[in-house]
Amino acid sequence: MRGNIIKYPRDNIDTDVIIPGQYLKVHDYAELATHAMEGLDPDFHSKVKEGDFILSGKNFGCGSSREHAPIALSHCGVKAILALSFARIFYRNSVDGAFLLPIEIDQDAYDGISEGDEINIDVSKNEIKNITKNQTYKMKPFSEIIGKIIAAGGLFKYKPDQD
Amino acid sequence: MGKTLFEKIWESHIVVEKQNEPDLIYIDRHLVHEVTSPQAFDGLRMNDRKVRRPDLTIATMDHNVPTTDRSLPMLDQTSSIQIKTLENNCKDFGIKLFDINSPNQGIVHVIGPQLGITLPGSTIVCGDSHTSTHGAFGALALGIGTSEVEHVLASQTLWLEKPKTFEVRVEGKRKNTHAVTAKDIILSIIKNIGTAGGTGTVIEYRGEGISDLSMDQRMTICNMSIEGGARAGLIAPDEKTFDYLRNREYTPKNYESLVNSWRDDLKTDSDATFDKQFILDINDIAPQVSWGTNPGMTCDVDEPIPSPDEFSNGDPNQKKGAEKALEYMDLKPGTMIEDIKIDRVFIGSCTNARLEDLIEASKIIQGQKVDSNVSAMVVPGSQMVKKQAEEMGLDKIFIDANFEWREAGCSMCLGMNPDILSPGERCASTSNRNFEGRQGNGGRTHLVSPVMAAAAAINGHFVDVRKLDLN
Repeated sequence: MRGNIIKYPRDNIDTDVIIPGQYLKVHDYAELATHAMEGLDPDFHSKVKEGDFILSGKNFGCGSSREHAPIALSHCGVKAILALSFARIFYRNSVDGAFLLPIEIDQDAYDGISEGDEINIDVSKNEIKNITKNQTYKMKPFSEIIGKIIAAGGLFKYKPDQD
Repeated sequence: MGKTLFEKIWESHIVVEKQNEPDLIYIDRHLVHEVTSPQAFDGLRMNDRKVRRPDLTIATMDHNVPTTDRSLPMLDQTSSIQIKTLENNCKDFGIKLFDINSPNQGIVHVIGPQLGITLPGSTIVCGDSHTSTHGAFGALALGIGTSEVEHVLASQTLWLEKPKTFEVRVEGKRKNTHAVTAKDIILSIIKNIGTAGGTGTVIEYRGEGISDLSMDQRMTICNMSIEGGARAGLIAPDEKTFDYLRNREYTPKNYESLVNSWRDDLKTDSDATFDKQFILDINDIAPQVSWGTNPGMTCDVDEPIPSPDEFSNGDPNQKKGAEKALEYMDLKPGTMIEDIKIDRVFIGSCTNARLEDLIEASKIIQGQKVDSNVSAMVVPGSQMVKKQAEEMGLDKIFIDANFEWREAGCSMCLGMNPDILSPGERCASTSNRNFEGRQGNGGRTHLVSPVMAAAAAINGHFVDVRKLDLN
């Protein structure tokens, strides 16, 4: 996966700023996407392109259980969130609906990657390559369980291994 | 080695268990509301699936509903459609619905316990993060997303990673139990452990400071577990729990025999260990007021707002977060909390809209008037709470003081119904989240207890309720 970074260098980006409550009545995903990050960054839509990644700090996606949050981001073209840590419901929602990849990173990746950097994520090697800066970082591997749900393409496609 | 209460409930609900796979967990109760369910029902239809156990699935409408006169048509068309959609889905799939005109309608986390649907030792899910509320009864109650809602509708089970265990011990006794409330205890806990302190864990709240609490108060504690990042919050059931659930509308017929087994089974063994521990001493805790844009940004009512440096302890992201929060909240470090003037007061939400919350707030209001610069409202958590409060005459106390007295719903907690703040308005709110824009675009939220909110309404600014006579 290759794309450019949109960086929000702060902790606790919550689901109310990712998709404010007033839009939870919107069922059309394309329309929902037009309001993504509206509570945080009014310029998000002029920046975001298909295939982009968001980079942020700790506890990304905290708050509400609204699956509208990863849905809105994925329908803007965002393929992965790179964060120091994630709130659990957002993390599972991202994976369950196969909307985007929640990737946990270490401090060196967080510090090293800047807004606009082009990076390549190789999940099979748990590696993030910063093409712009020619640096490489480790991503925290998915737990075996989450990896299997991702590989299956979401919760409804997941079946446990047969004996 | 002994087991924790969480481990006992988890193990008794495992349907499929394999090494390095998630556990398939059986779900005893599924609560459904209008906002996170439409796509799940659409998914069932698309795949020609039925609801596996409609008898274990209960729905109500709370997030979108107007809290004004319900005989009038709804003005917001998109809300109206979402409510109609839930009605149709419940009809098509045979699910019991407490609709907008039902005497049992209310916030899903208020009605579950009130109706005796929430039971100790059970697993409960709902497409809502504050499902953790039901943990006050010793139930494992998890907030889930819409894909998981669909999975539970279809199978009555969920694939879950087993969370870690976190003991939060609350020790000591509050000196003034009317002024220092359950809300102040949970805000103090979150202030200390941080908004991600409980990530990946189920918290069990234990100790004298917890067993002293009433059921309404315990629900306030468990409700905000999610604001500390936890998957769920639990309190072991005791006689208060069993008394609360006795003779409710949906209490099981064999209740007393269930109670006997719960009494023996539903507790953490004395030799059990937790993955993590935090201890809070409440002997000297003060009423809490949030000053920032997450529930961890909270201080004592008699403290000044901290500077970003003081708050962050050298963490650059925390510092940046505090700077941004102060800018959004239009506050300066060093300002005393009691000097902050407010425009609105909201007493409501799944955190603090139960009967006891309204009784406590009414003691402050009685014979007083809301400050002329403040507009204030009370939104009971359920129609049943509203009726009980009206039978006690609480509605008159609030109305005489110039509070609005509303119909039940989530109301101004989350800015998706007509009850919202205008940009720049500052609100003393008994809800659970002070995120940017949570109560309406540009709105500024201070999280407080019902008594603190009531006192702020009368005075036009925050006051330390320990100074008031509340007995």
